Amino acid sequence: MIAAFTRGPDDTVHVELQAAESRLLTGLFGDLLELLLDDVPPGLPDEVDPLAAELGLNGLGDDTPPARPDDPALARLFPDAYPDDPDATAEFRRYTQPDLSTERRRRAAVAVETLERVSDGGRLSLAADEAAAWLGALNDLRLVLGTRLEITKDDQEPGEGFGPGDPRTAYVPVYYYLGYLQETLVESLGG
Amino acid sequence: MTSAPVEVDRPDVRGEQEFAEETDRPWTTIVWNDPINLMSYVTYVFESYFGYPKTKAHKLMLDVHHRGKAVVSNGSREEMERDVSAMHSYGLWATLQRV
Repeated sequence: MIAAFTRGPDDTVHVELQAAESRLLTGLFGDLLELLLDDVPPGLPDEVDPLAAELGLNGLGDDTPPARPDDPALARLFPDAYPDDPDATAEFRRYTQPDLSTERRRRAAVAVETLERVSDGGRLSLAADEAAAWLGALNDLRLVLGTRLEITKDDQEPGEGFGPGDPRTAYVPVYYYLGYLQETLVESLGG
Repeated sequence: MTSAPVEVDRPDVRGEQEFAEETDRPWTTIVWNDPINLMSYVTYVFESYFGYPKTKAHKLMLDVHHRGKAVVSNGSREEMERDVSAMHSYGLWATLQRV
């Protein structure tokens, strides 16, 4: 029986996880957190001015807008807003990307923290705000994994065309598993 | 075959409505098809973020899926930047464009 979310009372959702699933998900969300930490806007000073940090002014004097991430998975999480206007896209990144990155890390951290409740397996109950964080984090995870598996067309088999022994092939079942988990979460949330 | 441009001297006064249309709502948020996001999830996002009824959200999702993209909202540039940023946060591939 594969894990599926179900709806409980008071906008809660539940999922029954085995210890191995809990470990797998904790590892994956942890990897996502780590990947998002790579997304530090370039041009930030290595030495943080403590006063500026206290006032929340770090980066304000920095005129270098974050560039399109080189990593295709990060580029998918932070797409260009203006397809034909690099200047407007850079400006948009400068104002939105740091907050968006913080929000993505927050969601992944909520997923990791809530999974600690079922590290030995069991029934995980999520309050509405935790479920919303899970939904976003699961989607981010699938976007990263799907990009790594080079899924570029609808109805394409993930990992199609990979040579035998390509280590990414191991993640194909994980990609399907996450898709099923997310599908049941959307359903439980009334989607 | 083409028609010659007709030069007409027009008074440089535009109707208020025309002006309002050009300044207030000339931008759109476009969501593009991608092979990773779940159809149910995209519908859910259109419902929960824009507050669209389920039938409209579902139709928009199908437009994205079959036609490759769909206009999901329109408004001022600031409003559309807000919508595009929200779509990016949900993980949808969105851009904004002047009409």
